[in-house]
Amino acid sequence: MTYLSTLVPAYAEIFLLVMVCAILIVDLFVTDPNRIVTYLLVQLTLLGCALITVSTYQPGVVHLFHNTFVDDMMSDVLKLLSYLAMSMALVYSRHYLMARGLFTGEFMVLALFALLGMMVMISASHFISLYIGLELLSLSLYAMVALQRDSAVATEAAMKYFILGALASGLLLYGMSMLYGATGSLDVNAISAAISHGVENKQLLTFGLVFIVAGLAFKLGAVPFHMWVPDVYHGAPTAMTLIIGSAPKLAAFAFVMRLLVESMQPLMMHWSGMLAILAVLSMALGNISAIAQTNLKRMFAYSTIAHMGFLLLGVLSGNIDGYSSAMFYAVVYVLMSLGGFGMIMLLSRAGFEADNLDDFKGLNQRSPWLAFIMLLLMFSMAGVPPTVGFYAKFSVLQAAVNAGHIPLVVMAVLFSLIGAFYYLRIVKLMYFDAPESHVPISMQPDSSVLISFNGLAVLLLGILPGNLMAVCAVSVQQSLLLH
Amino acid sequence: MLENYFPVLLFIIVGLAVGVAPMVLGRLLGPHRPDSAKLSPYECGFEAFEDARMQFDVRYYLVAILFILFDLEIAFLFPWAVVLKEIGTFGFVSMLVFLALLTVGFIYEWMKGALEWE
Amino acid sequence: MISFETIVFYLLAALSVFAAVRVITARNPVHAALFLVLAFCGMAGIWLLLEAEFLAMTLILVYVGAVMVLFLFVVMMLDIDLVQLREGFWRWFPFGVALAAVMVFEMVWVLGNNRTAETGTALVKHDADYSNVKELGRLIYTDYVFPFELAAVLLLIAIVAAIALTLRRRKDSKTQNVAQQVAVKRADRIRIVKVPAEKRGE
Repeated sequence: MTYLSTLVPAYAEIFLLVMVCAILIVDLFVTDPNRIVTYLLVQLTLLGCALITVSTYQPGVVHLFHNTFVDDMMSDVLKLLSYLAMSMALVYSRHYLMARGLFTGEFMVLALFALLGMMVMISASHFISLYIGLELLSLSLYAMVALQRDSAVATEAAMKYFILGALASGLLLYGMSMLYGATGSLDVNAISAAISHGVENKQLLTFGLVFIVAGLAFKLGAVPFHMWVPDVYHGAPTAMTLIIGSAPKLAAFAFVMRLLVESMQPLMMHWSGMLAILAVLSMALGNISAIAQTNLKRMFAYSTIAHMGFLLLGVLSGNIDGYSSAMFYAVVYVLMSLGGFGMIMLLSRAGFEADNLDDFKGLNQRSPWLAFIMLLLMFSMAGVPPTVGFYAKFSVLQAAVNAGHIPLVVMAVLFSLIGAFYYLRIVKLMYFDAPESHVPISMQPDSSVLISFNGLAVLLLGILPGNLMAVCAVSVQQSLLLH
Repeated sequence: MLENYFPVLLFIIVGLAVGVAPMVLGRLLGPHRPDSAKLSPYECGFEAFEDARMQFDVRYYLVAILFILFDLEIAFLFPWAVVLKEIGTFGFVSMLVFLALLTVGFIYEWMKGALEWE
Repeated sequence: MISFETIVFYLLAALSVFAAVRVITARNPVHAALFLVLAFCGMAGIWLLLEAEFLAMTLILVYVGAVMVLFLFVVMMLDIDLVQLREGFWRWFPFGVALAAVMVFEMVWVLGNNRTAETGTALVKHDADYSNVKELGRLIYTDYVFPFELAAVLLLIAIVAAIALTLRRRKDSKTQNVAQQVAVKRADRIRIVKVPAEKRGE
């Protein structure tokens, strides 16, 4: 019992794991028409996790399990947002999946396992737990993409995702092993201490760093390691795309923070140069290729690449402002991505995917409210004030200017102006073109209410970004200074 | 430590020799006069009409992958069994949790009918 | 004077390299899979020379014993068209060679740089009663209990994913479910319909 009471910071993970096992077994006894039982259990689990994370909050940094697990404010905030993102993703995808016969217990269990992987990544302070968290997440996502077994496109997407993901894991592991060879430890704090003390074999360290950055770039989908992103986003069923494109980005941010910033801060001059190349290429290629797309999911995929470039720009600034603006950017990106893919699913129906740009023609005439929400989301992605997307871009750019990366900032602004074109094109299609289809939109009460909140949140956070920004700043500050 | 494995090395060498020597001897000493009839595949007197290999049912794959998972579980049990006395109750309980998680998986696959061969 | 261990190392290394080359050059995919088994055996020997006995055993037990069975199933399941498989080989060959050359160069640069007598750390030799398995056992279940339990979760995900992706009922299966047949009630099979009497057709 005394040991259990020392595990308080990990209660949320333990609760989630116990509940996933319970749901896995309960779902065996649930028949297809009653699948809602499993769904409600999953949502309750997410709520329970949130309550536990809030109630076990304690200021400061706690290490557990021989430093393989860390609980700080950044991890608590990111975990809470991940629960929210996962819960929203499940609300959006329920009707979509039901219409396609994919609303199975396995889908929900895999989603929860993916969430567990993200939580492990978010609170890992050891290379082994970072890696296992990443594998928990990736393995669940690969399986989810492949769940639509009779769709050739989805299977191909799963195949590409799996092979390139496995390659990236290999690169990461190889880099980690080099770092272990150079520093003699896998513990994030011990590595950082060893590097600042001076390492005998500098080449080995740099070599390991290159492999780690390459692996990270693969997982983030940054150019030139982005090849899988468009195919996976396009080929996977939209519900799975939504899950890949939302909460995991929060975990990816935490992963970058733990791996590059917390363990290799002394090597910053090495990795910030690599990240600069990745960031510029991602923003350029993402924004320019997105213009040529006629499929909305593919367009969002390229826009994700560009957004990841922006996130890296925040990280490479290398100061607290940069990290907190990158965290803010990740949170905002998740919110917008949930809304964007949620809208595609809301407009889709059995046997029809509203994922072409033409499907959004004249949306204003079919449903002015949905068109308005989509307008907010697109404005935010493009970075038009007063939406939150503007503030997110602004704070990243500000941090980069303060760090002295003027040429990077100029390029970032240039490419986001190019990017604004394709977001605003959707607005033009919705408001100024005649609709191609007049099939009434089946407004599901839960997802249409949620998407309204989602759209309005993008606007409200844009007007009042202070609180969220402050939370990001404080949590980054705490976890960096106190660890 | 390596000297403990010297018998293993010897065993492998002897095993290889016993396996390879008869084949080499047979090839060297035996008469060797092939013709087209001797070399053609024999299938109950018919001309062979298709490749000997055929597509396997995907269920073999499922069985194999489930086997691997429990094989890995066994691999984790070995070091645990060796040091069980040293790691005490904590180590014992941590393995029980590990096994409990895999038992959930086992119940799932059993109930799902993945172990049945129709 | 070359030590006995060095001779064994070079034999095993030569065996592994030969087998690995044959994996990618063998015409028959089944042969390629079997050469992979040989490569694994060679590597297990090399790991054993490094005194990583548990890893060597696991490599044999898990990879040779289980993963390769899976590989063979997959190779047989796919019914691969060999001609089609080899089509792009020579087109991509220079690219692959270039990539391999870069990797080898980097490895030599990184690992070769510190091969001076003073800094190069020699392998620690242990006594006959040293057990690598025990060393691992003392750590895995205590210090690394968190990743250890997560490894179980990883296996659990693999079970769920494998079943979700491959399990399907066969429609052409003619198996009988005896329990179902025994449990049948009269009401399931016959229905008594009251047909109103009609007059004989006129």
